[in-house]
Amino acid sequence: MKAQAHVSTALDSSFFSKYKKLIVAALLIIFLFVLGEIIVSDFLSVGQILLTIKLSSFIALFGLCQMIVIAAGGSGLDLSVGYTATVTAVLTAKLMDGKNENIWIAILVALALGFIIGVLNGFFVSYIKLPPLVVTLAMSQMIQGAINVYTAGKNITGKPSPILQLIAAKTTGFVPNIIFLLILLTIIVMLILNKTRIGILLYGVGANPTAAHLSGVDIKRVRFLSYVVSGILASFIGLLLLGNMGIAFKDMGSNYVMPSIAAAVVGGVSLAGGDGNYLGVVLGAIFLQTLTNLLVALGWGDAGKWTGFGIVLFLLLIVYVSNRRKR
Amino acid sequence: MQGKSMETKKRTLRDFTSKPEFSSLLILLVMFALTAILQKNFFEIKSIMRNINAFAPLILVTMGQAVVIISGGIDLSSGTALSLLTCVLTSIMKKNDPITGLYGIIVAFIVALLIGLINGFGIGYLRIPPVISTFATSFIWLGIALFLRPTPGGESVSWFGVFYNFDTLKDISGFFGTLSGFLPPSLLLIIIGCILWYVISKTKTGRYIYAVGGNSESAYESGINTAKTQMVACMINSIFIFLAALFFVGQTGSGDARMGDPLTLRSIAAAVVGGIALSGGRGNVYFALVGALILSFVNKIIFFANIPYAYQTLVGGAIVIVAIAGSQAYISYSTKTKEIKIG
Repeated sequence: MKAQAHVSTALDSSFFSKYKKLIVAALLIIFLFVLGEIIVSDFLSVGQILLTIKLSSFIALFGLCQMIVIAAGGSGLDLSVGYTATVTAVLTAKLMDGKNENIWIAILVALALGFIIGVLNGFFVSYIKLPPLVVTLAMSQMIQGAINVYTAGKNITGKPSPILQLIAAKTTGFVPNIIFLLILLTIIVMLILNKTRIGILLYGVGANPTAAHLSGVDIKRVRFLSYVVSGILASFIGLLLLGNMGIAFKDMGSNYVMPSIAAAVVGGVSLAGGDGNYLGVVLGAIFLQTLTNLLVALGWGDAGKWTGFGIVLFLLLIVYVSNRRKR
Repeated sequence: MQGKSMETKKRTLRDFTSKPEFSSLLILLVMFALTAILQKNFFEIKSIMRNINAFAPLILVTMGQAVVIISGGIDLSSGTALSLLTCVLTSIMKKNDPITGLYGIIVAFIVALLIGLINGFGIGYLRIPPVISTFATSFIWLGIALFLRPTPGGESVSWFGVFYNFDTLKDISGFFGTLSGFLPPSLLLIIIGCILWYVISKTKTGRYIYAVGGNSESAYESGINTAKTQMVACMINSIFIFLAALFFVGQTGSGDARMGDPLTLRSIAAAVVGGIALSGGRGNVYFALVGALILSFVNKIIFFANIPYAYQTLVGGAIVIVAIAGSQAYISYSTKTKEIKIG
């Protein structure tokens, strides 16, 4: 039923319906900025917009991990991305020790860590057929446990190498460098997913597993690989996070997990799988960050901030995620 | 479900051993034995009561969570909903005015039903994916809870302690003093929850919850109001959360907007360990209780086995995943052997 709906949207080639969710997300962001400018002065400025995008970039990066595992279907989700990033940051901070020549070791460690975590997630989800939510949740707990063991009774020492800080924290002129990275990544991801076989495999497996299976695709392997890719990406995001923060700490990544899923959903990724446009996820992340900024600027404190966030997210979901079947 | 007559008894036993419930019972037995070995005074009344008190919130929240999962949903807001209810209770109650305790309970119950109504409206009527819709509502509950109680605290009437220990009432009658020696009120709350679910499971609604979670399309086609059923499931869940809130306020006498947070994901894990399928429609709510007990015993074992604090989260996570993988492997193994027999 759901798969059929996806196929029919894919076949509908009219520009507006194809990019409807993107346009809605973009309009919402503009609306929030205008609203912010009216209510709180000094909200709509180039500096503020760039800052918002910079702050949202990590949600957007983690959103890529989510989009990949969600798109592969099978009610995929990866709750462990934030923890993967944290463990990478904690371990590599010491290895790099603020020196550029050590970055290769850090990259190797990140690759290995992300690979191992992704393989474990993918194995349990795809081959043992455990629910992704529970597997990645338990994985998060184990990673957090490992971090606790590693950091027990001592301070986390070390600094990121300057090159990471250059990418993640510094600005060129007035544009934060990480925005360039995000743009580059968006282009690469869009090219890979829309112009290569990888995209067809990923979306095909998510949208209609039966058809994919009948046409000879190894569904289990595609889903397994989606978690491996998610793990490796999350690990590298950990390096960037370290570069941005300058130091590593125990819960630096965990707060991004649920917002990254929300960003994916707001950006038009269907949780049923087989769908998803990374530009939408980026816009979703920017939307969530703008909303948070606006609610903070209103000065209602934590209570107002979270209530507003919840209500707006819920209303937004009603408007364009809710799937009221025509009965 | 299980036939009572003699001739079917043997078959039902074999059916039972092939169910996920059987494997979770086995795991529970192992955990129980391990805890009994490690905790020196495990069988003393005092420590049994203390254990029941420590396990009660997770058990109650997990049973509610199980109802929602069986109906095809999931509730990521149950922890913050619990926090919100403790904040509501402690905001209404005035320390020196005993009647406000009653007002508090009534208002909190209404708030609980509203929470279930809104969650169920999102999941059932608006058909927003439950993971994301209850994630959104969790922020609403958190925000309101923080509005009521920015920092942990608040007042509670003195008799509210009755939800934690009957000792509170011993001035009224010596009976309660004796009662407090062997009966923890939290056990009564759990029993109330079990009775509630027993009654519901015997009604049409109970069967509808399974039908809708198992296959919402065919449930709809056979004339079941699927949206309403899912909403009712969410409201049953919030009644369980309400019971847990009574216990919490009885125990601490205060409200805290953040106290429930860890329970959300733990309750989901516990439900899965108890054999509730996240895909919906399968599982037994009483075995959610077993799942919650298993997770609680795991914590006890880790604590008593003198595992260094730093390792506790690691070991806990590993045991959860092993337990779930084990039960899953057990199910697929037993269904496979069945198929072979048929073939």
